[in-house]
Amino acid sequence: MKALLNFFTSVRVAITLLIILICASTIGTFIPQERSASEYLVRYGQLGPLLQRLQFTKLYHSFWFIALLLLFALNILICTLVRLFPKFHRAFKPKIETEPRNILSLKIKDKFKVGLPPAEARDEVKKELSRRRYRLRASEAEKRHFFYARKKVLGWFGSDVVHLGILIILAGGIVSGLAGFRRDLTFVENQTLPISGANFSVRLDKFITEYYPDGSVKDWKSLLTILDAGKTLSQRMIEVNHPLNHRGYIFYQSGYGWDWEHPSLEVWVKKKGDQAYLKKVWLKFGEKTALGGESLDLSVLQFIPDFVLDEKNQPTTRSLEPNNPAAFIEGWQGTEKIFSGWVFAKFPDFSRLHSAKETDISLELKDVQAPSYSVIQMAKDPGVLLIWIGCGLLMGGLFLAFYWPTRELKIILEDSHGKTEVAAGGIALKSREAFQTEFENIINSLRKRK
Amino acid sequence: MSESTIFMLAFILYALAAAFYFAFLYSKKENPAGVGFTIALIGLLFHTLALVLRTVESGHAPFTNMYESLSFLAWASILAFLIIEGKYKVRRPGAYLLLIVIALMALASSPLMPKEATPLVPALQSYWLWLHVSVTLLGEAFFAFAFITSIMYLSAEAKEKKGKAPKSGLTAEKLDSISYRTIAIGFPLFTLGGLVFGMVWAFKAWGTYWSWDPKEVWSLITWFVFALYLHTRIVMGWKGRRSAAIAIIGFLAALFTYFGVNYLLAGLHSYA
Repeated sequence: MKALLNFFTSVRVAITLLIILICASTIGTFIPQERSASEYLVRYGQLGPLLQRLQFTKLYHSFWFIALLLLFALNILICTLVRLFPKFHRAFKPKIETEPRNILSLKIKDKFKVGLPPAEARDEVKKELSRRRYRLRASEAEKRHFFYARKKVLGWFGSDVVHLGILIILAGGIVSGLAGFRRDLTFVENQTLPISGANFSVRLDKFITEYYPDGSVKDWKSLLTILDAGKTLSQRMIEVNHPLNHRGYIFYQSGYGWDWEHPSLEVWVKKKGDQAYLKKVWLKFGEKTALGGESLDLSVLQFIPDFVLDEKNQPTTRSLEPNNPAAFIEGWQGTEKIFSGWVFAKFPDFSRLHSAKETDISLELKDVQAPSYSVIQMAKDPGVLLIWIGCGLLMGGLFLAFYWPTRELKIILEDSHGKTEVAAGGIALKSREAFQTEFENIINSLRKRK
Repeated sequence: MSESTIFMLAFILYALAAAFYFAFLYSKKENPAGVGFTIALIGLLFHTLALVLRTVESGHAPFTNMYESLSFLAWASILAFLIIEGKYKVRRPGAYLLLIVIALMALASSPLMPKEATPLVPALQSYWLWLHVSVTLLGEAFFAFAFITSIMYLSAEAKEKKGKAPKSGLTAEKLDSISYRTIAIGFPLFTLGGLVFGMVWAFKAWGTYWSWDPKEVWSLITWFVFALYLHTRIVMGWKGRRSAAIAIIGFLAALFTYFGVNYLLAGLHSYA
């Protein structure tokens, strides 16, 4: 037990753990994480399965990495506590030094005489030190006065506050890992989705994609309504970087897309023999649409938003963006198919209609529309509050540790034939040069007192 | 004058300042360093103007692509160098830091870096872009300064071991102490900008404050290395060579976080 405690109080162990964490984290950035077994086999050959068994392929969520983090947390906790008690003691029950020899063995020190009787010198010391915002403790013995003065004592605890912050952040991480969840909700406009486990549902009222003049996407916005049993609780427009928070459930704009299974297509029908002839129709996928004035029905058999031919020369889509929309359209006269073929919106010249029967009809695909859907990520993460508290403590602690240096002064006044012999010393762990200057200023102003 | 002209002007002024600093290093007269300091300060003013113009023209924070962020890192490094030199009255590290700045400016103005301001993708449209990137790069600028003084420490210490006292009065011990103080400024800034602001922004934009993305991991590694520096120094009393080595590794880790991750590892931080 004692050996175990010694293990955890050792700074060497902390340093070793830190170095192991650095190495492990580094490895994880060079091995692609959470890929398929076949990808690792291609990349690392025989080593692939071994890396997977050792969980190097999901390193940051591996059993051993988490164990390492927990060990590190335990080490931080114990190291901090072990050092905290002596610090508390020193902070709240400081010993007032009564031996001039000890004061004069400090690094920052001075010894001098002032031409005042001890009682007056004592008041001068008090005045000077409180003017410089030192907190004073004093005691006296026969013909002698002892002072212990200190300021910015919180600086001593800066590192402890930092460590507490780190522990709280790690705790937040554990809470997030165990209790947090996220899920993608895919909505089309006016669709309502119930949130399982919560007594409300969410409706997408409107989804907008904004573009820059050069055509690149500027923003996605979704107007969301939170409903409870049909009643509107709240309504808000969310966009990237501006989520909606409802009772700890946070809704993020995370993606978008089009439902290309249900497109509507605007098609212009022309006749080669009749330049003036033009009919504009909207076709729906899978429905026959009659062309007014002609005994002709058009129907869309296939639609591809980003047309490309694959290795086997089969039409397929390169992406879900409407970069090269193409539709396979058939023309029917009663029960007789008269033509069929691919029509391209971007490349009208490539459109080819194969006809079984003589026809002078040509088609142009002018516009494609599909119901757009918005992907909203819903997340609930009860660990987040701990993370922000931990971050606050981390920063506050760093400030205290680096920029709030504790200063201690120990002063003894001794009567020497109606005058006063002064022994003064100071301790500062941080920014000693600045303290040296302050110390000298204090001494000089005391010397001048008459 | 256009932003790029003013940027080039700042670049020239930095190069001129470096020339004066090196004149000081080799002539051992104080004057040229003072002139160099003033020129660097004027360069910084022009550079600031260039960054402001860039912001006004593009309508967003001036660190959304490699050209912009290199330029900002150079700016922050000059700022860090002026602060440290003003505070600790050490002139020699400035000469070498200016070399780093010149390298950054040269890289930024090389034809490899696309310079046109592109509209911001939705994920970057946030005031956290300002906070996250500027504070992180400022922290890294101080790490760069500590990198310089640590290398200077190693060379000064080797000379002192052979019994040669430094002619400039800048002892190895002083360099060691300046490295520590510079890291004491850089570390809280890097923690705030890189880790804390980064987590807050990630939570606002992606819905998760930490995703073990390579850039995040490398920031954490950098942070761990400087934590190692501070603990070995404060708790275990390490000083001198071992401290200097850790500070050098720390800066290299920061550099890798900044550059290497973008070019070698893929991840969420694919913007700049």
